Amino acid sequence: MIQIPSDIRPAIAKARKLEWWTLAGMGSVVLVMYFAMGSSQAMKTAFLEDMLGFVPAITWLVATKLEPREPTEKYPYGFVRVNSLAFLASAVVLATMGAWLLYGGMMGILGGEHPTIGPVALFGNTIWLGWVMIAALIYSVIVPVILGRMKKPVAEELRDKVLHTDADMQKADWQTGLAGIAGILGVGLGFWWADSAAAAAISLSILYDGLKNIRTAAAELLDSVPRALRGAEMSPEARRLRERLQAMWPEGHVRLRESGRYILADIGNIHPPRDLPDLRDLMGEDPHWRLAKLSFTPPGCAHADEDDQRR
Amino acid sequence: MKLALALAATLALSACADIPRDPERTEALVRETGVIRLGWVGEAAPDEAATGALRRLSKLTGARVERHEGESEAVLSDLKDGRLDLVYGHFPQASPWAREVHFGSALGWRAKPPKYEHVPRFAMRNGENGWVMLVEQASRP
Repeated sequence: MIQIPSDIRPAIAKARKLEWWTLAGMGSVVLVMYFAMGSSQAMKTAFLEDMLGFVPAITWLVATKLEPREPTEKYPYGFVRVNSLAFLASAVVLATMGAWLLYGGMMGILGGEHPTIGPVALFGNTIWLGWVMIAALIYSVIVPVILGRMKKPVAEELRDKVLHTDADMQKADWQTGLAGIAGILGVGLGFWWADSAAAAAISLSILYDGLKNIRTAAAELLDSVPRALRGAEMSPEARRLRERLQAMWPEGHVRLRESGRYILADIGNIHPPRDLPDLRDLMGEDPHWRLAKLSFTPPGCAHADEDDQRR
Repeated sequence: MKLALALAATLALSACADIPRDPERTEALVRETGVIRLGWVGEAAPDEAATGALRRLSKLTGARVERHEGESEAVLSDLKDGRLDLVYGHFPQASPWAREVHFGSALGWRAKPPKYEHVPRFAMRNGENGWVMLVEQASRP
């Protein structure tokens, strides 16, 4: 069984609670958006984006449930990387949906679609549905922005890319809301193209999120170096670990990769030493739990000296 | 915070503005010309709710109703192209024309009628939101 390190168990519990809150909060947002949606393309796009907001939360909850599962004969390394696989799948869905919605928005502009936003009877009064849509959009922004802000520090503590991406997407949700409101107000002011233009702008942000996530997930599945939560560079603690390992075994070839939230290190061209340094010496001031595995590949093995083979 | 204030100010200003407006100025043209060009689907029997609504609409805009009878395909096509301002007929909500024009609420019905039932209602040009609001307002007794 792959134990979740005791240092991060409270953070995992907090993240789990936040993800359940996300499902409940976004459920209420989706419900409100569904009833206010009408025939506005921007509202439909914002509604679908809110629906997609479930994906990272569900992915994370399923992955953390599977992460500590007992390895099996067929999967002797356990299920730590199910997180990465689910992340890639959700990123592909996000990108595909973004592209499809962008196509819809562009076709709306090119086809000259004039969206009709009619009246609605509310508490005995007849009001323009656009005002209800704007109220729904404002609500749809508040919930994810608060949740996104709460998730960010937990994601950083856990070095969790799925959670971090989820928090990032939610924090940026105000842009979707604002684009949607601009679209509805534009239609109200007589600019028929404003709705489709807003829908296209929202789809672009969905597409961008999807492509960015595909890049991150593919990098992890291809055993790239452990990356920083934000951006494609090597994470600073991985860089420091590599420097320390290189100093300890100057003849070896240090390679690091990431598996879920953990770093796996391999020293090539070195016989396994009789005495290993303490985890404190290996990780220094960085969180010790990050280093999940340290292996040695003796000289003569095919993967012992890959740096030299590449040269 | 600044963004929230800007949004609040925009919404407050918008609430004061004359919203919603028509991209093709249907309501403004009706008021300017003093004529509501009404397409009437030939076989549609006159309905008390519809005549009442037209009377109220006439009063609200200060315009008289000019009736043009024709087949539903022809009048709806004229409405879509802007040659008519309004069409009256018996249409189902699930009409094949529902994407091309906007069908108003069922006249004389308190509940929502079944999707495929032909009921008396007005049709308006898509996106003419100010005009749609006005017609719907006049359609309520």
